[in-house]
Parts: sequence; structure tokens; C-alpha cells
Amino acid sequence: MNSMMKIIREQLRYFYLVRRLSVYELRSLTSGNYLGMAWEIINPAIQITIYWFVFGFGIRQREPIGDIPYLQWMLAGILVWFFITQAVMKGSKSIYSKIKMLAKMNFPMSVIPGYVIFAQFYPHLVILGLGMVFLQFIGYPVSIYYIQLPLYMLSLLAFLFSLVLITSTLTTIVRDVQMLLQSIMRMLLYLSPILWPPTLLPETWQPYMKLNPFYYIIEGYRYSLLGEGWYFLENPVYTAYFAGVILLTFFIGSYLHIKFRNQFIDFL
Amino acid sequence: MAKSVDVQHVSKRYKLYKKRSERILDLIIPAKEYGEEFFALRNISFQVDEGAIVGLIGINGSGKSTLANIIAGVIPATSGKVVSKGNVALIAVNAGLDNKLTGRENIELKLLMLGFSKQEIEEMEEEIIEFAEIEKFIDQPVKTYSSGMKSRLGFSISVRVDPDILIIDEALSVGDKAFAEKSLNKMMEFKEKGKTMFFVSHSISQMRKFCDEIAWLEFGTLKEYGNADIILEEYEKFLEEYKGMSKKEKTTYRYEVLQKHASEREKIL
Repeated sequence: MNSMMKIIREQLRYFYLVRRLSVYELRSLTSGNYLGMAWEIINPAIQITIYWFVFGFGIRQREPIGDIPYLQWMLAGILVWFFITQAVMKGSKSIYSKIKMLAKMNFPMSVIPGYVIFAQFYPHLVILGLGMVFLQFIGYPVSIYYIQLPLYMLSLLAFLFSLVLITSTLTTIVRDVQMLLQSIMRMLLYLSPILWPPTLLPETWQPYMKLNPFYYIIEGYRYSLLGEGWYFLENPVYTAYFAGVILLTFFIGSYLHIKFRNQFIDFL
Repeated sequence: MAKSVDVQHVSKRYKLYKKRSERILDLIIPAKEYGEEFFALRNISFQVDEGAIVGLIGINGSGKSTLANIIAGVIPATSGKVVSKGNVALIAVNAGLDNKLTGRENIELKLLMLGFSKQEIEEMEEEIIEFAEIEKFIDQPVKTYSSGMKSRLGFSISVRVDPDILIIDEALSVGDKAFAEKSLNKMMEFKEKGKTMFFVSHSISQMRKFCDEIAWLEFGTLKEYGNADIILEEYEKFLEEYKGMSKKEKTTYRYEVLQKHASEREKIL
């Protein structure tokens, strides 16, 4: 409980720094390439195309999902997935890869995963914006349902931060965790409602698929972008479950982070 | 005179594990001890007056850099503590620069992390660039820099930040003579301002010119602490002797030193 309050206080107090540092982080990530930040858009665009080709055009034979064409359906879900994977992967290795450079600085360690995740948030906003523009022209104009989007965004940030508090601690102690995470994230791409609708599964299986907290976020984004309804209101139990998962993750994450952060440098 | 840095019974223990699994077991099962203990520093205590310049000397592996890092607050001590008055800056050869960012961006980033505001950073930036003599390379990524340029940049940032306590870990040995001269002048300036400095170096002549006091470390123990001239002379004599020792003699010597230290400790306890 104490560690949770401590982390929250640190994040609030150093939010200015998180924001500024994230800009440098983004620059550092893209500096080596000629096209620089453009890759943050080119890469997802290529992936979307290939997924559409394989899953929508090939496997599903241009069959729509419910009454939504495949491309639109997939696009509304995958936009946020790019942010999720990047934030989890980069956030998890943030502490051990930055600690050397950052040791002895006038801010608490919890700022590191914070700003690394935040650095991924800007490209997300750009990609989301482009996705929205694209959706205008393919039959899904701006709707009143867009206003629930910030809710999912903020809760996703909270969840990612909590999760990365756990994973960044674990990867610093045992480097193998990073490899494991990579596999898990790849697996989750197929286990989340991104490339195919889990509603195809037998009725009894579906609740288990929903245990994955990213399921909630992805569906929430999809409902907002495609104007399907108010996801969080229509699924109150699931919303409560998701909130519970955030809290639990944050509880574990802040406990682990505070417990080990003084020793991080010894684990290098 | 007021004490600026008070090092109190500092020990640093590392653990050497034979297998990787031991390391994890050691974490998970705290009740049982795994791995072999290795003390990089054993019960080091000394006090430094404000405005003093302290040299840390000792042969390789004596714990100089570890001690410098603990005083700087970069790594935590296993037991004991360091109380210092004011903010501490550590300058090391690997000054913690982001290789992919340009020199200018690195300056901004470093200052940002040290808690300076946007306006302050703008003011300091030009001065740092000028002092570092990086010139047109300043807008190139740091990975294109020579080691001398990197340490010059690191040094320039650290001195401009104006810390109360400055720790220099072999950072001056990479620069050319002209820059070393300039840095020494800067440090003299600091000395006049009454700032406390620590100096880790293998260059005895530099130490003699510069230091007031010397802390001589030997296999993680503090062999002697005191007036620079006296201890440096002893140290030089010791180095001559040590160089002449065979490998076996060195091992025996090491063992004796640690035995002596252990028995001294017991007497105190």
C-alpha cells in the first residue's frame, strides 16, 4: 500500500520530467535512420497491409466480421496493439538498459519506465490520428462514441505502467524474462481480438479469452472508433474486472519495484 | 573545519556465484546462503574536510572506483554509510552519454535529468560547448566522438553544474595535454571556492601536484589516510617492492593484509 502511494507521488511530482525525457528517448530511438520517425508509421502500415492480405483477403475470403468489413474491423483493433507491444518490450528493458547512464540523477527510478512508455505514446497518437482519418473515407466517420476513447487510453497507460513496473524489475534481475516476454507478446497478438474474432470460438471458451486484459482495451478502442456502442457501460462486470487487474498489477509492480530498486545496479 | 564527507564503516559485498541458478536461488530463498562472498570494500571509515582534495590510490582491484561510486551515490554500500554535505557529481571516462543522441542533445538531457529548468539549460549549454571544445561535432551523434571528446564533454557538463563535491574517476587521463591543463585549472578554481574533490588516478605526479590528502586502499581495506606527500612517498616505495614480488609472494602478501585487517577488527569489536 505504501509503495503504491510512493510511486503515485513520484509520478505526479516528476511528470514534467517524464514528458521532457520521453522526447529525447524518442529522438534517440529514431536518430539512426534516414526516415527517422516516419518509420513509426511505415512499419505499422506494412504490418496492417500484410495482415489484411493474409487474414482478410486470403483466409477469410473478404468475409466481413458481423456487419463490419474485415479491414475496418482489424484496423480499429490493431492500432492500439502497436502501442501495447512497443511499450511492454521497451519498458521492460528500460531499467537495465538505462541505469548505467541514469545512475546518480536527481529523480526516482520509477521515472524510467514512465518516460520510456510515454515515448511510445506519441507515435501511438499519430498512428491513431491517421487511422481515424483513414476510417472517415472507408465508411466509419467520427461519432459521439469517440469521447469514450480517452478513458481507454488513460486506463491503458495505467495498466502498461503497472505491468512494466513488474517486468522491468524481473528483466533486470533475470535477463531471460525479456525473451519470454517477447514470446508472450507474440502469442497475445493471436489470442486477442485483433486478427480474428474470438466469437468464432465455442461459447464456453470465450470467458477465458476475456481474462486477457488487453482484450478489454482492444474492444474498447474498436467500439469507440467504429461507433459500435459504449463498451464500458455495456460490459460493467468486465469493466470492474479490468479495473481490478490494473489495481492488482500496480500493487505487485510497485511492491517489487520499491523492494529491488536500490539493488538494480548490482544486477548489471 | 566542517566535515564535508563522512565515510562511516563502508563495506561493499559482492557475491560470486558458480552457477547462474545459484543467483536466482539466493534471491528466492533468503534463508539459505548461496554463492561465495567477495568484499570489494571492508569497513572503510574516514572524514574529509570541506575544501580538501583527496586522492584515492591503490593497485588494481583495490576498490578505488567502487569507493568513488559509493561516495557519489551511484551504487549502494552493503553496510555503513556515507554522509555528504551538498550535491555530488561523478566524472568517469564513460560519462553516461547516449551514443545515439548528438552532443547538444546529450547536454540538454543530462541537465534535464539533474533538475534544471528549460531556461537554465539554454544558458548553460553554450558555455559547456565552448569549454568542451567539441566545435562542429556538437551536432553529431556521440557515437562518432573519440574517447577524448566524450570525456571532455562529460567533464564540461559536470563542472558547469557546479557541484559541491566532485569525484573524478580517471577521467582526465584520456584528454590531451592542453585539455588536461585546462581541466586542472578549472579544478584549482574549484579548490579556491572551497569545494571538496576526490581524485582517482594512477598518475602519482598529478596526485602530488594536486591532492592535500590521500586515501590508500589495499585489497578493499583502508591502509592509510593522511597527508598527501608522506603517503605518496610510502606508496611509491611500496609499488617498487610490489612490482618485484613473484605471483606467489603477492598472494601471500594479500592474505597477510586481510588477516591483519580481520584481527584488528576483532580487537575493536
